[in-house]
Amino acid sequence: MTELSLSRRGALKAASAAAAALVLPIFAEAQQLPNDRLFAPAEPGARIGPPIAYLRIGQDGRATLFSPTTECGQGTHTGHAMIFADELGLPLEHFTVEVGQPGPDFRRIQGNEMNSGGSLGTRYWYGPFRKVAAQAREMLIAAAARRLGVPAGELRAADGRVTHAASGRSLGFGELVAEAMALPVPENPPLRPDSELRYLRRPTARLDTPAKVTGAAKYGSDVVLPGMVYAVVKLSPVFRGELESFDRSSIANIPGIIDVVPLPNGVAVVANSTWAAIRGAKAISLRFKPTPHDGLDSAAFSARMREALRRPGFVNKNDGDVDAALASAARVVEATYEVPYLAHACMETDNCTARINADGTVELWLPTQHQDFCQGAVARVLGIPRERITIHTQWAGGGFGRRYGWGAAEHAAAVAKAVGRPVKLIWTREDEIGQGYYRPAQVAHMRAGLDAQGRVIAFHFKAAGPGSGTDLRPYTIRNDFDPTAVQSVADTRYRFGAFRTEYVRVDGPPIPWIWRAVGSTQCGFFVECFLDEVAAAAGKDPLALRRELLAHDARALNVLNTAAEKGGWGKPAPAGVHRGIAYVESYGSLVAEVAEVSVTNGQVKVHKVTVAIDCGEFVNPETIAQQAEGGVVMGLSAALHEEVPIKDGRAEVTNFDGYRIMRIGEAPVVETHIIRSGQTIGGVGEPPLPPAAPAMVNAIFAATGKRVRTLPVDRTDLRT
Amino acid sequence: MIELSVNGQPRRLDADPEMPLLWALRDILNLTGTKYGCGIAQCGACTVHVDGEPVRSCVTTLASVAGRKVTTIEGLHPEGKHPVQLAWIEAQVPQCGYCQSGQIMAAAALLKKTPNPTDAEIDAAMAGNLCRCGTYQRIRAAIRRAATS
Repeated sequence: MTELSLSRRGALKAASAAAAALVLPIFAEAQQLPNDRLFAPAEPGARIGPPIAYLRIGQDGRATLFSPTTECGQGTHTGHAMIFADELGLPLEHFTVEVGQPGPDFRRIQGNEMNSGGSLGTRYWYGPFRKVAAQAREMLIAAAARRLGVPAGELRAADGRVTHAASGRSLGFGELVAEAMALPVPENPPLRPDSELRYLRRPTARLDTPAKVTGAAKYGSDVVLPGMVYAVVKLSPVFRGELESFDRSSIANIPGIIDVVPLPNGVAVVANSTWAAIRGAKAISLRFKPTPHDGLDSAAFSARMREALRRPGFVNKNDGDVDAALASAARVVEATYEVPYLAHACMETDNCTARINADGTVELWLPTQHQDFCQGAVARVLGIPRERITIHTQWAGGGFGRRYGWGAAEHAAAVAKAVGRPVKLIWTREDEIGQGYYRPAQVAHMRAGLDAQGRVIAFHFKAAGPGSGTDLRPYTIRNDFDPTAVQSVADTRYRFGAFRTEYVRVDGPPIPWIWRAVGSTQCGFFVECFLDEVAAAAGKDPLALRRELLAHDARALNVLNTAAEKGGWGKPAPAGVHRGIAYVESYGSLVAEVAEVSVTNGQVKVHKVTVAIDCGEFVNPETIAQQAEGGVVMGLSAALHEEVPIKDGRAEVTNFDGYRIMRIGEAPVVETHIIRSGQTIGGVGEPPLPPAAPAMVNAIFAATGKRVRTLPVDRTDLRT
Repeated sequence: MIELSVNGQPRRLDADPEMPLLWALRDILNLTGTKYGCGIAQCGACTVHVDGEPVRSCVTTLASVAGRKVTTIEGLHPEGKHPVQLAWIEAQVPQCGYCQSGQIMAAAALLKKTPNPTDAEIDAAMAGNLCRCGTYQRIRAAIRRAATS
């Protein structure tokens, strides 16, 4: 334990004595998880200290958990409470979950950033949470032992009470917290055996559901502060355009306008209602500076990416002699695939409520997945140290990676400073979709060599396009190589023989971003559909080919076989229904899916998707099923319909009338099978998404004989 | 001055008659359960009932609801225990939850008119409500559950 942590612990103890509570900081050992090279490695031996994440049990017997994770709908807060509830012996309903503050200790642990993605909230914190909960439980028991004058070994903590069975006496946690806090913290408390667990690994109703069905749930955009004004931005329609001038008089006749605040890339219209601000933002006359890409369109950018495939790229994996193996192959299969730019389209648009206090401190209320980036950006805008900025993390109306952005936070801070009042600032849907932050468009050329027996002896994967880290995490890009461009490929479990992965960087005008499952979305599609082509060329069943490539890996085979068996692979399907299969590992979890699809008059209907997921260890099967259902729908939606076409250097569609996402009538039945392998805990938010598109597209081939190599599927005429 | 009924209460609003009902509910009446998603009646996050019919409050002007009865998610049931709300909890529908007020209002309107809808009727009635978290399967299940409760 570092001196800093010790002194902080002392400070916490003092604070809890005043409030009569049991407060324990949560230390997480720095660890390197499999498949998380996207995130900067933590310092070896680094520890996290309070008050970033901690547990507080009050005299009322209720527990508050200061979680490291934002609740974006993925159910992490319930999962976190479940871990504590079981280990402590306190009913789930007695928990409140809030989000802690960013700080230096946090940055040392979780890839140098306080963020919510990649299921890190569970993957990093499951172990530390159980340990701290067990420490708190043992301290409560020790306090009760003193009070009751019995050996601690005769006491049990359950249902929020410590009970002495022999005498029938018991004390509530709340009665014990002050004494417990004065006791030493046990170094290695025992964890409860599985037989005593009530919540973990059992389908558990989420804590946030009741508020989300009554309208009581408060999201970032619902924050109300006394004396608050409203602001709506109007930003450059051309990607990365800069404001040249604006004409305030163009909206002088709109009642309720308070001010217009210039921003680097547009303006914020400030008014006494959101409606007045929206009217102003729509009507205001703005001029933007010309950009080098004012005339660019999607076709030209696609050509640029395809051209780049002819140039040598950065080779990050090169096992064996791929060129020699391809030259000696009995047969070479090759194909080029392409995916478009995608918007996250979170139902809640970017927003932030900001207040600059009289003492110069700043408070932000916002739904962010990245507290550190927001805090840092606002510190730059206001020219103050980041320590003076408090982040009140709100529930998010969707995240999917979009909320790693800090745009609304910067804008709200600038407006709050300019008008000298608290402000709630929102982006319209048009700016939300039109400003970039897209899953990058990308192309991939793949070559596979087969020997005379039809076995794969070589595989060359070469991608070109923008990387997702160019603007978000430029420090992850070295030698023009963005690791997300080959995510789930370079580290695949498949054994191809000679194997090379390569990437050519091509920057585009829109801001590229991480989008649920990041590079695994397009790479999963590329590789899994191409493997279907390889199987066809080798005259093999697509499942059989994958089994060959994974023959050495029992864990992966089990996932594949589970999906195949539960999904009816090889069994007769209803008339007109065809199946496709795909397998993608991402964020530490292995997922295989079987899609059942029919194509009628060129119209695709996905009837059912069977998901098999091995995430090692898990917390709440209910939320895993939710994530599988949602991931499949989002993956299919993107593959079928989604695309942000570019015209004249700007997004051609900026709202749901043009950006088509899946509606209820198209949504398939999703059946989820969780495999508990007991391996290192993996993610569940991202991993079910990547296999969905290739499973469907492979089923479309089975149905029509047509290979869809360019997404969205809508672009291809599937009439046979 | 526009007079209307909101969740059974008479209200007098001194506001721009062209202001969409959505912003009057959220900014003036502090009923934030009704959400902004698109502003052009494409996503359904702002769905409320006007005289019992589901409408998109983002494109419904205050002037057009003068003298009418508006019900929002906050007023669907006094204790939040409308059969649709209970079914939503049973089926564990929400993920982020942002679209769910609109989904629930659309589902409640459907069941009032069609107490035992077919899957096709559910899909048709709910087609205007987007959910980016992809909770559609559970929405269908919850509507079926509410229909039989």
